[in-house]
Amino acid sequence: MSAPKPEDLRSLGDRLDAIRRKRQARGKGPPPTAFGIAFRFSTEMVAGLLVGGGIGYGIDWLAGTRPIFLIVFFILGAAAGILNVVRAAREINAQIAADADDAGDEAP
Amino acid sequence: MKMTPMEQFAVKPLVPLHIGGYDVSFTNQALWMWIVVGAVSLFMTLAVRRRSLVPTRLQSMAEISYEFVADMIGSAAGEDGLKFFSFIFTLFMFILFSNVLGLLPGSFTVTSQICVTFGLAAFIIVMVIVTGFIHHGIGFLKLFVPKAPALLLILLVPIELISFMTRPISLSVRLFANMLAGHTMLKVFASFVIALGGAGGLLSALAAAPMFLIVAITALEILVAVLQAYVFAILTCIYLNEALHLHEHH
Repeated sequence: MSAPKPEDLRSLGDRLDAIRRKRQARGKGPPPTAFGIAFRFSTEMVAGLLVGGGIGYGIDWLAGTRPIFLIVFFILGAAAGILNVVRAAREINAQIAADADDAGDEAP
Repeated sequence: MKMTPMEQFAVKPLVPLHIGGYDVSFTNQALWMWIVVGAVSLFMTLAVRRRSLVPTRLQSMAEISYEFVADMIGSAAGEDGLKFFSFIFTLFMFILFSNVLGLLPGSFTVTSQICVTFGLAAFIIVMVIVTGFIHHGIGFLKLFVPKAPALLLILLVPIELISFMTRPISLSVRLFANMLAGHTMLKVFASFVIALGGAGGLLSALAAAPMFLIVAITALEILVAVLQAYVFAILTCIYLNEALHLHEHH
């Protein structure tokens, strides 16, 4: 193979840049699967409950007030879990909407 | 034959070692972490050895992974997130190779251990907090104060704090549970093949059904291995983005 000419390389670079820009405009990342979404939501919710319950249990253990703080922080943990799930759902919705937009653009 | 689908996750000491009353034995876990690190190093070193302008197959694989991670950081954490490129690239390659090498028969999946994934996640969260305080000083704490009437803040600030604290847990549990579930499923279906095949008669013919399923699940597991490495890395970028730019939650 002969050595590539500089002009050829430059036009190749330009073409690559054009393709790259086109790709970046598209939705980022692979589309979420149903299993992935379910897994995401359940871990977010359970993590909220675990952290809330853990903090409450810890405070009770230190202060000897069981079960007051356990109850309070379990509820706060549930709220945090729901907040996380809502945020995750919003992210996934945005991603799906972006993907749908792209599909609409590409259709003839 | 006994069915032991969880046996593959057992951490066994290979070289027993005790220092000051602590068990610091060299285990199959440690061995496979070294194998993963060795494999990544070997792959990257071999790939860029020639540095040709028209890349070979191996070199373009290395270049694609480099550009993939660079694009991911750029889009999720902005241009100044690229300061963390070397960390996130290392993280992504380590998890990717752990997951993929774990699919080889007889190997050990490093990322199926919660201590490994939680160790990574805890390190990331500490890094995010330190980054946040370096960039914004005490103003980083604004991340935990949403726009709301003052009276509601008594309730909302603890919720935001707990929500932040769940991150290392959901990050580590997602990776660990995906690996654990996938590998257990493969093992269970594999034991069906052996049990049915040994049963004789018509039942032996039925063994083809779980065999076919294993092939399909293995393909799915390869997808999950790559996807989970991606998810772990992109969530790290998203958390770093918040620490760098203090985005308001909407």
